[in-house]
Amino acid sequence: MVLNIKNLTGGYSKEPVIHDISLDIKRGEIIGLIGLNGAGKSTTIKHILGLLRPHSGSIKVMERTLEDDVEAYRRHLGYIPETPILYEELTLKEHINMTAMAYGLTPEQVEERKGPLLKRFRLDDKEDTFPSHFSKGMKQKVMLICAFIAEPDLYIIDEPFLGLDPLGIESLIELMISEREENRSILMSTHILSTAERYCDRYIIIDKGRKIADGNLEELRALTHLPNGTLDDVYIKLTGGNHHE
Amino acid sequence: MSKALFEGRMTEDIKLRSYYGKFIFNSHFLVFLMIAAGVMLYTLLGLRETLSPGIHIDLICAIVLSIFINPKYRSLLKEADMLFLPPYEKHMTAYFKRADIYSLSLGIVPPIAVSIAVMILLTIGHDLTHIILFFFVALILYFNTFSIKRLAVNTELKKWMVNLILFVLNFVSLFLIQQHSLFIILALAIVVLSQVSVRKIRFKTLSWLNYTAYEQEESHAYFQVVSMFTNVKQIDKSFKRRAYLDLLLPDMKGEKFNKKNMYEYLFYRSFLRDHDLPMIVLRIIILFFIIMFWISNFYISLVFSLFGIYIIVLQMSQIYTNQAYLLWPKIWPVNRSYIQDSYIRYSHKMVLLISIIFTLMFIIVESEYFYIGLLFPLWGHVLNRFLSRSIYKKEEELSD
Repeated sequence: MVLNIKNLTGGYSKEPVIHDISLDIKRGEIIGLIGLNGAGKSTTIKHILGLLRPHSGSIKVMERTLEDDVEAYRRHLGYIPETPILYEELTLKEHINMTAMAYGLTPEQVEERKGPLLKRFRLDDKEDTFPSHFSKGMKQKVMLICAFIAEPDLYIIDEPFLGLDPLGIESLIELMISEREENRSILMSTHILSTAERYCDRYIIIDKGRKIADGNLEELRALTHLPNGTLDDVYIKLTGGNHHE
Repeated sequence: MSKALFEGRMTEDIKLRSYYGKFIFNSHFLVFLMIAAGVMLYTLLGLRETLSPGIHIDLICAIVLSIFINPKYRSLLKEADMLFLPPYEKHMTAYFKRADIYSLSLGIVPPIAVSIAVMILLTIGHDLTHIILFFFVALILYFNTFSIKRLAVNTELKKWMVNLILFVLNFVSLFLIQQHSLFIILALAIVVLSQVSVRKIRFKTLSWLNYTAYEQEESHAYFQVVSMFTNVKQIDKSFKRRAYLDLLLPDMKGEKFNKKNMYEYLFYRSFLRDHDLPMIVLRIIILFFIIMFWISNFYISLVFSLFGIYIIVLQMSQIYTNQAYLLWPKIWPVNRSYIQDSYIRYSHKMVLLISIIFTLMFIIVESEYFYIGLLFPLWGHVLNRFLSRSIYKKEEELSD
């Protein structure tokens, strides 16, 4: 098991935002974490990353909790935030180097891995440029390159398609599929259900801070009695069409 | 309404200034200021005994005072005012009147302190009546400078151009008044002419864009000064590529390419590519060297060297604080203690380099006391250790 969350309750203050969430991610799975704005997706992600402390419950990455060994726990995680967070004083190449040093890569591994990634996201001529001067989509590509160069066991991607152009989305999907083939896992939170429906192996649906469903599309269809329903239909049925936050 | 609006903003601004004032005027800096003031007074009184009257003293007095009779104009307007206040423009008189009084009160201390020093120098070769006349003209020029600066905001004149013209006019007036009392007529004529000219070219209605942009610049300039002493959250950090400096940046190769060295890799880049920091350090070094060379007094050279190193070490610590609170150090599988370890290595190297520069400057100016200069690297090291300790402690508390 790459990720194992048991009865997680937590939030930013004493008032919990997420309640009693349990979920597992196996090796080589792409999981869609689905919910409206404010449902608790980002809070769940922040707990997994160790940025928030759970009120109760436990989180294990590769059978280890954060308390067991912080460095070992984090080494298995790669994070791509919804809004790109960059060092304004570093070039694209230096961002890659910083990430590589953090994840213990050798200069040779960096050279070997970065070329295909830069090419895939069409940034191979921008290595000496400050990404802070890039467009939002290009900045997001820098985040993706930095995460994918480390090849962690679990990628946590917050709204992966936001700001990317169609070619960028296509490149990301291809990369996600190839990582799955390498037995690495991906947890992605998204609003774009039509895309998620095509590539995710399983969906975890969160509403008002609680997990309300967990399964593949067939299982969710059976649960909602919508044999031919799309992920959108299933989601609306499960949440009672409640779009008010 | 406009009176209440300004008073609210003034209270906010005073609170902010008193908050940052605590960092600037900390006990070390106050001790330094007292020592510096004592040394300056001692030197001036010594010069008074040894210097003979001459045009060079008149020139120095006119230049120094012209630099300092330049009060800042702070309207405390905010960007959003551009949208919300124009309909109330006719009712803003009380706001701007209070802004004038507040601005004048903010910049009163430096011209008074400098006037005392200038007065000591003026006693060389000038009688009391002449000195009184000189300061009377200086007072008129002070208010005129403020008024012109305020009026010029509502014109197409560039800020640097206004400052330059005012400096030249003030300098000419103050220099000539020392040569003959009748030049007061010329000084008054300059005041009247400058007022008439700027009023002629100002816009008929308030340019809210100009006023808010000017206030933003002034506010930024204030925070820049404060940032020399402490971290300022109101300043958006910006960086410049400066590819020509890449040669100076260490590239972690081979075995050095690891998590223990990654933050050192970052710190050098943060420093050399910071929009202001390298230039501030360079300016401090050049300015202090000019002063030390010009005055060529042992005590002044010593105080300026020690203070120069102190202020630069304070500046350097912002690099650590900027990095320590970012997201990535909390995500990467890297022990947080490496940030501190890297900063210690980086900052000691940088401080050593800067201390050596000050040592060389001191030896050039005071070669017979070269052995004192050799102690500067030690002073830099001790200061860096002492000042860094408090930021590590703060960071540990906040990251907990």
